[in-house]
Amino acid sequence: MSSASVPVAAALVRRRPPSSVRRRRFLLAVADHSLLITASLMFLAPFVFIMLTALMTNSQALSSHLWPSPFRWQNFVDVFHQAPIWRWALNTMIYACLATLGVLLSSIPVAYALSRIKWRGRNFAFGLVLIALMLPPVVSVVPLYVMWAKLHLVGTLAPLIIPNWFGDAFSIFLLRQFFLTIPEEYLDAARVDGCGELRILVTVVLRLAKPAIAAVALFSFLYTFNDFFLPLLYTRENPDWWPLQIGLSEFRSLHQVQWNLTMAATLLVMAPVIIVFFLAQRAFVEGVTLTGVKG
Amino acid sequence: MRRVGIGLLATLALCAAAAGATARTSAHAAAKAENITIWVGWSARELKAFKKIVAEYDKKHSDVNVKVVGGINDDKITASIRSGNVPDVVSSFTSANVGSYCKSGAWIDLKPFLSKDKLDVNVFPKTSQYYTQYNGKRCALPLLADVYGLYYNKKMFKAAGLKGPPKTMSLLTAYAKKLTKRGAGGSIKVAGYNPFLGFYAGNAPDLSAYAPLYGAKWISGDGKSQLSKDPAWARLLRWQKNLIDWYGYKKLQKFNAGAVDEFSASHAFEIGKLAMMIDGEWRVAFIKDEHPELDYATAPAPVDDAHPELYGAGYVNGTIIGIPKGVKHKDQAWKLLKYLTFDPHPLALFSNAIRNVPTTKASLNSPEIKPDPRFKTFLKIFANPKSKTSPITAAGNAYGTLIQAFTVKWQAGHAGDLQAGLKKLDKQIDAQLKQAKAGGVP
Amino acid sequence: MAPWLIGFSVFFGYPLVMSVYLSFTHYDLLSSPKWIGFANYRYLFEDDPQVGGAVTNTLWIIGVMVPLQVMFAFGVALMLARARHGTGFFRTIFYLPALAPPVAATLAFVYLLNPATGPVNIILKQLGIEGPLWFQSPGWSKPSLVLLGLWGVGNIMIIFLAAILDAPRQLYESAELDGAGPLQRLRWVTLPTISPVILFSVVIGVIAGLQYFTQAYVAANVAAGQASQAGDQTVNNLGYPEGSTLFYPVLLYQHGFKFFNMGYASALSVLLLVVAFTITVLIIRNSRRWVHYAGAVK
Repeated sequence: MSSASVPVAAALVRRRPPSSVRRRRFLLAVADHSLLITASLMFLAPFVFIMLTALMTNSQALSSHLWPSPFRWQNFVDVFHQAPIWRWALNTMIYACLATLGVLLSSIPVAYALSRIKWRGRNFAFGLVLIALMLPPVVSVVPLYVMWAKLHLVGTLAPLIIPNWFGDAFSIFLLRQFFLTIPEEYLDAARVDGCGELRILVTVVLRLAKPAIAAVALFSFLYTFNDFFLPLLYTRENPDWWPLQIGLSEFRSLHQVQWNLTMAATLLVMAPVIIVFFLAQRAFVEGVTLTGVKG
Repeated sequence: MRRVGIGLLATLALCAAAAGATARTSAHAAAKAENITIWVGWSARELKAFKKIVAEYDKKHSDVNVKVVGGINDDKITASIRSGNVPDVVSSFTSANVGSYCKSGAWIDLKPFLSKDKLDVNVFPKTSQYYTQYNGKRCALPLLADVYGLYYNKKMFKAAGLKGPPKTMSLLTAYAKKLTKRGAGGSIKVAGYNPFLGFYAGNAPDLSAYAPLYGAKWISGDGKSQLSKDPAWARLLRWQKNLIDWYGYKKLQKFNAGAVDEFSASHAFEIGKLAMMIDGEWRVAFIKDEHPELDYATAPAPVDDAHPELYGAGYVNGTIIGIPKGVKHKDQAWKLLKYLTFDPHPLALFSNAIRNVPTTKASLNSPEIKPDPRFKTFLKIFANPKSKTSPITAAGNAYGTLIQAFTVKWQAGHAGDLQAGLKKLDKQIDAQLKQAKAGGVP
Repeated sequence: MAPWLIGFSVFFGYPLVMSVYLSFTHYDLLSSPKWIGFANYRYLFEDDPQVGGAVTNTLWIIGVMVPLQVMFAFGVALMLARARHGTGFFRTIFYLPALAPPVAATLAFVYLLNPATGPVNIILKQLGIEGPLWFQSPGWSKPSLVLLGLWGVGNIMIIFLAAILDAPRQLYESAELDGAGPLQRLRWVTLPTISPVILFSVVIGVIAGLQYFTQAYVAANVAAGQASQAGDQTVNNLGYPEGSTLFYPVLLYQHGFKFFNMGYASALSVLLLVVAFTITVLIIRNSRRWVHYAGAVK
C-alpha cells in the first residue's frame, strides 16, 4: 500500500507549480539576468541609433532630435545615387574572393606538409611561420610599397591580392594545429592503398578538416572585407578601384557631409557581414573557438 | 563540401567576369584619339562648371579626349606621382606646396613650353606669378585666384543697430559680442564672429588669412622664421585667444561640432547662425546658388588697430595647375593647360560660374565677365598692393603643419607662455626648412 | 611548400632587409635613395617633436585597452556561462558589434559621440549631465577609442566562453568539496584553467595595439572634419585633436605615405619591429609563470 502511494505523491509534486511561484521564478530569472540584459542593451544601442539616424532628414540628423519623423526610407536609395556603391562592392568582392581563394589554395598544402609529412627542416620552417605570425605587417609596408610602385601596380588591387597566393601565416598555423589532430590511422590506411601524399591530402584530410577550412575561409573573407590599411595605401589615388571601406571613409567628403546618408551607408556596409554571420553562425562560432583554443 | 565547391566556383567566375569586363572597356577606350586626364580639386556644383568648360574644349579638339576627375587633394597628387599613376594635367588648391613640387621635380618645368609658344607670364598679376614658381623654376601656372574678405549679415546688423562693416579688429570684437545670441546654459545659438582656428577656411590654423591684416611677416630676408620676432603675430594670437575665451573654448567647440560642412547648403553664415565671417570670394557663388534671399554684404576684412593703413588688403592665393612628372602625352597636356590659363574665354566663363578671381588682365576685362557688386569687393582686394600670399618654401606647405600644431594648442590654453612657444616654433620651422633645402630628413 | 617559401622570402624576408637598408637613406621615390647614415635615427631620437607623443599614445592604448578588453570580455563570458536561458540570443547580441567593419564602426561612434548633436550627449543632457567633448577633446579622444574597442570584444568573448565551458567539472566539484566559495573557485579553478586563453588574448591584443591604425585614422579625419567643416583637406588631420590620436603606426603612415619620406618611415618601422619582438618575447617568457596547460601540475 505505502509503496504505491509514494510514486503517486511524487507525481502530484511534479505537477505545474501555482502561478505566483512561476511569477516569482520569472522575476528571479530576470534579476539574475539583469546584468546581461543591461549589457546587451548597451551593446545594441549604437546599432539602434545608427538606424534611427539613417532614417532622418539631413537637418534632423544635425539637431537634438533622437527620433526621425517622418521615416525617410528613401535615404537608403539616395546613398546609391550619391556614390558608386555597387562599384565599391564589386571591388571588395574581387579582392575578398580572390584573396580567400589564394589563401586556401596556398596555405592548405603548406599546413599539411608542416604537420603530417616528415622531412628535414620541418621544425625550422614552422618556427619561421611563428615568427611571421608575430610580425606586425606595418613594419614591412614601406619596402613592399616601393616594390609595387616600381612594378607600376599601385592603384590596382594586385598588391592586395597577390601576397595572399603565397600563403598566410595565420591560416597555416591554424590549419596545421588542426591537421595534427587527425589520427594517423586514416592517413596510413590511404598510404597502404597506394595513394600519393597529394591524393591523401585531397581525399582524406580535406574531408576531415572541413570545419577548420571553413573557419579559415570565413576569417580570410572577413579580414579582406574589413581591410582598410592596405587598400588605403594602394588604391587611395584611384577611385575606380576603391573597396567599400575606403569608399565609406571618403563618402563623407565626396559630397557635402550628410550624416543621415553617411549612417545609411554605414549600415549598408555592415549588412553583408551580419547577413553572412546569421547564415553561417555555427561555422563562425566554431571557427573563433578553434583559433582561441588551439592557439 | 560540394556546395562549398560550387559556391567557390561561382564566386570565382563572377570575379573573373568582372575583371574581364573592366579590361575590355579600357582596351576599347585606348583605341580612339589620345586620352588625357585632368585632376582638379573642385567637386559638386563647381566641378560641373569646370566639366562644361572642358567639354567645350573637347568638342573643338577631336584629336583628344579629356577626362576630368574632381575631389582631388594634395595627398592624392603626391601619392600618384610617387606611384607612377599620374594624370596628364594636375591642379591643386594649396599653392603653398608649389615649393616642394618645383624643387623635387614632381611637377615639370614649364619654361621650355612657354618659350616655344612665346608666352609671357607677365599677363599674370605679380602675386600669382610668385605662388606658381620656386627659386626661379616655374612648374605651375595660376588658374583663377582666391581672395579673402569679410562677409556680414545686413539684417542682423540692422537689428542690432550697427552701421557698416567693422574696419578694425577692436570694432570686430565689439560687434561680434553684440551680435552673439546665447541659448540655454550659455551655449552659443548665434555667433557674432567665430575666431576658432580650424573652423571653416577663413580660420586656417596656419593663420594665413589673418597675417596680411596684421602686416605680419612669416620669413625674413635671410630665410629665417619670424613668428617670435615680428610682434604682429603675438598681437594676432592674443586677440584671437581673448575672443575665444569670451565665448568659452568648450562652448565654441560644441558650436563647431553642431555646425555643418562648409560646402553644404546649411553653412552657418548662410542660415543665419553666424553674423560675420572672413571667407574666400567663392562664397558669393555659393550663397547665390543656395540662399539667394540672404541679406548680406561684403567688405575688406578688418585690420589691426595699430595699422589702419592696411585696410583694403587681404590674403591671396589661388589654384595652381601643372604637368606632373612621368606624363606621356606632354604636348596634349600642354595645349589644354595653355588654353585653361591664358585664353580669356574659359577664364571668364569659369570665373563667372564659380566666382573666383580671373588671373589675367585680358580675362578680367573680358566682355564675357558678368559683374556682381558683392564680388567686386574681392577684385579690389586682389588688386590692392598690400595684399599678401604665404611664402613659398622648399618644404612646401609643411611649415603650415608646424604652425597648426602650435596654434591649436594655444587656443585651447595648453601652450603656456606665448613668446616661448613662438620661439620654439621658429626653431622647428628653421630646422625643417634647412633639411628640406639640403634634401635631408623630414 | 616551394611557393610558400618564395612568398615568405619575398613578402617577409626581403621587406625586413630593405627596411633596414632604407632606414639609412633619404628616399622619396622620385629619385634614387641617398645614403645619409644615422641621420634618420638621430632625428628620430632627438629632434622629431611627434615621436615621443606617438610612442606614449601607443603604450597608453596597449596598457589601457588590452587589460580592459580582456577583463570585460572575461566578465561578459562569465555572465553568459552562468546564464541558463537564451544564451544563444545573448551571445549573438554581444558578438554582433565585433562583426562591424572597423571603418563603419568608427564612423558611427564619431557621429554618436558628437558633442553637440550626438545622441549620447543629448541623452546625458536629459539626465542633467554635461557630456564631455569625446573625440573633440584631447583628453577624451583615447577613452572614446577604448569605448569603441570595448564595443567590439565579441571575438575574445566567444573564445573565453568556450574555454570557461570547457573547464573540467571534476575540478569544480573537488573544489566545492574542499569548501571553496564561488570567488575562490573563480580564483583557483576558473582562472588557471583558462590561463592559456588569457595569454592568447593578451598577445593578440598587444600585437593589435602595436598596429592600431584604422580606427585612429578614421576617427581623427572625421572628428577634425566635424570641427573644421572645411571642404578641402589641406590641413594635416592625423592625430586630431592635438596629437592625442597620433599612434605610432599613424605616425609611420604620415611620414611614409603622406610626406613620402621613405627613409625615415623605414627607420620608424625598424624601431617598431625591435619593440614588437621584445614585448612579445617578454610576455611569453613571463607567461610560463602563470599559465597552466591542461595536464600540467603546478
